[in-house]
Amino acid sequence: MRNVSGLLFSGGLAFLLLVIATHLPFGQPLMLVGSDIIQASPHEVGSANVVAAILLAYRGIDTLGELSILFTAAAGVGLILGHRASQNVPPTQVKNNSGFISQKGIELMIPLLLVVGFYIIFYGHLTPGGGFQGGVILAIAFFLPVLVQSDARLDHNIISIIEGLAGAVFILIGLWAMFYERPFLQPFFNGLFAKGTLGELWSAGTLPLLYLALGLKVGAELAGLLATIADFSITETQGSLSEDDTQ
Amino acid sequence: MDKLVLLVVLPLLAAFLMPVLARSSQVLARLSGLLVLLISITLVLNVWGEVDKQAISFAIGGYQPPLGVVFYIDQLSLLFALLIPVMVLIFWPWNRPSSIQEYSLMMLLTASASGLMLSGDLFNIYVFYELLAVASYGLVSVQVRQGQHPVVAWVASLRYLLLGSVGSVMMLLGIAIIYLQTGTLNLAQLSLLAPEALNNITGLSAFVLILVGLGVKAELFPVNTWVPEVYAGVSTRLSALMAGLLSKLAVIVIVRLLVLLFPQPEALHLMTVLGMLGVISGELVAWRAKDMTRMLAFSSIGQLGLVFIAFSLPGNIGLLAGFAIALHHLVVKPALFMLAGGWSGRLEKLSGMAQSSPYHVALFVLLAMSLLGVPPLPGFWVKLLLVMNLAVQTDPVYHFALAFMLLATVLEAAYLYRVVMLFYKKENHTHASSQHSLFDWITAIALAAVLLISVVQLPSVERKLVSMAYQSGNRLLYIHTVFANIGTPEARIDRMSPTDQAKQPLVSEPSIKEKAIKEDLVLGSAEQ
Repeated sequence: MRNVSGLLFSGGLAFLLLVIATHLPFGQPLMLVGSDIIQASPHEVGSANVVAAILLAYRGIDTLGELSILFTAAAGVGLILGHRASQNVPPTQVKNNSGFISQKGIELMIPLLLVVGFYIIFYGHLTPGGGFQGGVILAIAFFLPVLVQSDARLDHNIISIIEGLAGAVFILIGLWAMFYERPFLQPFFNGLFAKGTLGELWSAGTLPLLYLALGLKVGAELAGLLATIADFSITETQGSLSEDDTQ
Repeated sequence: MDKLVLLVVLPLLAAFLMPVLARSSQVLARLSGLLVLLISITLVLNVWGEVDKQAISFAIGGYQPPLGVVFYIDQLSLLFALLIPVMVLIFWPWNRPSSIQEYSLMMLLTASASGLMLSGDLFNIYVFYELLAVASYGLVSVQVRQGQHPVVAWVASLRYLLLGSVGSVMMLLGIAIIYLQTGTLNLAQLSLLAPEALNNITGLSAFVLILVGLGVKAELFPVNTWVPEVYAGVSTRLSALMAGLLSKLAVIVIVRLLVLLFPQPEALHLMTVLGMLGVISGELVAWRAKDMTRMLAFSSIGQLGLVFIAFSLPGNIGLLAGFAIALHHLVVKPALFMLAGGWSGRLEKLSGMAQSSPYHVALFVLLAMSLLGVPPLPGFWVKLLLVMNLAVQTDPVYHFALAFMLLATVLEAAYLYRVVMLFYKKENHTHASSQHSLFDWITAIALAAVLLISVVQLPSVERKLVSMAYQSGNRLLYIHTVFANIGTPEARIDRMSPTDQAKQPLVSEPSIKEKAIKEDLVLGSAEQ
C-alpha cells in the first residue's frame, strides 16, 4: 500500500513537472537580476569572477547561512556518532595498511593537494573556483592518510578549533564593515585591503579574506565529518566483534 | 535599523565560537549563549515602537534590491524577532546536563529562526529554513526524553529527517519554478510581477510545492506524520519549543508568501481544505490517544489546522484571526507540554491526581479551558473571531470548514473533559504523583500568567493584532518599503501608516502606481 502511494506520488510529481516544463520559456532565461549584476559587479565589488561577487557580496548572507548548515550537520553527526562511539570500548589497533605504493603515493599527493586547494581559494575572486571547491580539496588532503593507514587519525581538537575560528572570522569581517559605518558583510576597501586593479591577485578589498575563511571552514568541516564517520565505523565494527565474543 | 542584522549574526557567531571557548572555559562558553540572547532581546526592544507607523527594510551588504538580499521589518516580523530569543531563553535546556554542541545547536536554531522572520528574499528564506530544519534534526536526536531509550528517539528523528528533506526539496523545486517564471528572487519585486507572471497554473503548482515543503514544519495535514513520534520522544522543553514556536514560524512564512505572491483563490481554498483535514484528523486521533504527550501532539496538529483555516480567509480579517489563534496556541501549548512532562505514562495512571497535586491539576484545567475556548479566556475570543468570520463568507467551502471546526471542538471538549474527570476521580489509595521539575512548573505558571494578563489587556492586545494584520496584509506597503531607496520621491511619501491607508488614493489605483514603480525599477537599474 505504502509502495503504491509512493509510486503514485512520484508519478504525479514527475507529470506535474513535465507539464510545467512545457509552459516555461526554453532557452531564453529571464535575466531581471543577472545582467544587472554582470554590469555592476566590476566597479561595485571589484572581483573579476562574477560568481564570487554574487556569492560573497550580493548574496553573502546566503553563503553565511550555507556554511552554517554545514557546521550544523557536522555538529549533529558529531553529537550522535560521538555519543555512540564513547559507549563502546576503545578500539585496539588493527594493522590493516594498504601497502607501500599507496602510502608513498599519498605522501606525494598531500603537498600537491594542499597547493591546489589553497591556489583555488586564493584565486577564487579571479578565476572559477573559490572557498567551497578549494575547501573540499583541502579536506581530501587531510583525509587521505586516514583512508590508507588504519592507525592514522585526524586530531578532532584542531579541526574543531579551525572550524570555529574560521566561521567566526567570516562573521567578524562582516562586523568589521559595520564598525566603519557600512552595512554588514560588505566587502570593503580600506588601507591594506585596497580595491586594486580588476583581475590582480591583490584586489577586491576584503573579499579574498572572506573566501579564505570560507575555504578553511569548509575544509575543516568536511575533514571533521569524514573523520568522525571513519572513527565511528572502526569502533562500530570492533564493538560488534566484542559483542559476538561475549555471546 | 540595520543593526537588526545582528539578531541573525550574533547567535551564529556564538554558535561557531562556543566549541572553541569551551576548551578554555566551559562557564564562559555557556554564558556567551545566554548573553547573545539577552542582547537580541534588548536590540528588539530598542526599536520596538519604530515600525508601528511604517515598515522598514535594509539591504545586506548595502547592495540595493533586487540585486542584493534585503531584510524587511514590520510589526509581525519584529514581534517574532522578540518572541524567538525569549522562547529560546525560556526553553533553554536548563534542567539537564548538556554538551556544548547542544547549546551551539540552540544558537543556530535562534539565528535561523530570526533570519526566517526578517528575510525578504525567497532563496534566503530557503537557506534559513534549511538551517532551522538541520538544527532541529540535531536537537531532536540529542535531547531525548528521560526514561526513553535513545534508539527510539533516533528512529523518530530519522523519519523526521527523511520527511523534512523531501519537504525541503519540494520547496526548492517551487522556488526554482518561480525563478524560472519571473527571473528574480526578491519578494518585493516578485510581488510586483506576481499578478501577471504567477497568476496561472504554474504559479499555483509552485505554491503547492512550497506549501508542502514549509508544511512539514507547520504540521500541515499530509506531511505531519513525524509529529507524535518526535514530540513523544524528545525532552518536554524541546517539544514545547517546536510545537509552540517553530511550527508558527513556518506558518508565518507561508502567510507572507500568500499575501505577496499568490493572489489566486485556489491557493486559499487548498489551504482551507488541508486545514480542515488537519483539524479533524488531529482531534480524532487525540481523542483516542493513550498518553498525555501524544494527546497534546495530536491536538497541536488540530490547532495548526485551525490556524491554516483562519489564514485561508481572504483579506486582512483572515490574517487577524490567524495571528490570534497562532499566538494563543504559542502560549497555551508549551505550558501544557510543560505540565505533561511530569505526567508521563498511560492516562489511566493519572487517575486521582488532583488529590496529590491540586495546583498542577488546576493549572491544567485553566489551560485546557482556554484551549477549548471557554469564556472569558483568550481561547474563546480567538475561536469566536474565527467562527464569526467563517460564517459570513459566501463561499460554501468556508461553511464546510465551520462545520468541521465545530465538530473538532466537540471532540476536543470530549477528550479534555475525560482527562479532567480522571484527575478529579475519588480514589482511596492513589499512586499517582506528579514529577515536575521546578523549572517546568515555573515556566508553566509564567505562560499561564501571560494568558491571564492578556484577558485583562484584551482591548490593547486586539489593537496590536489589528494593526499587525493591516500592516502585514498590505502588499503595496511591502513593495514601497523595499524599493523606497531607488523609487521616486512620491513612492517614499506613500509609505503610509496602516490606519490612514483608506484615505489614500493609492489603494484604489494600485495598478497605475505599480507600473510607475516598475518603470522606476528599470530606470534605476539603467542608471547603474
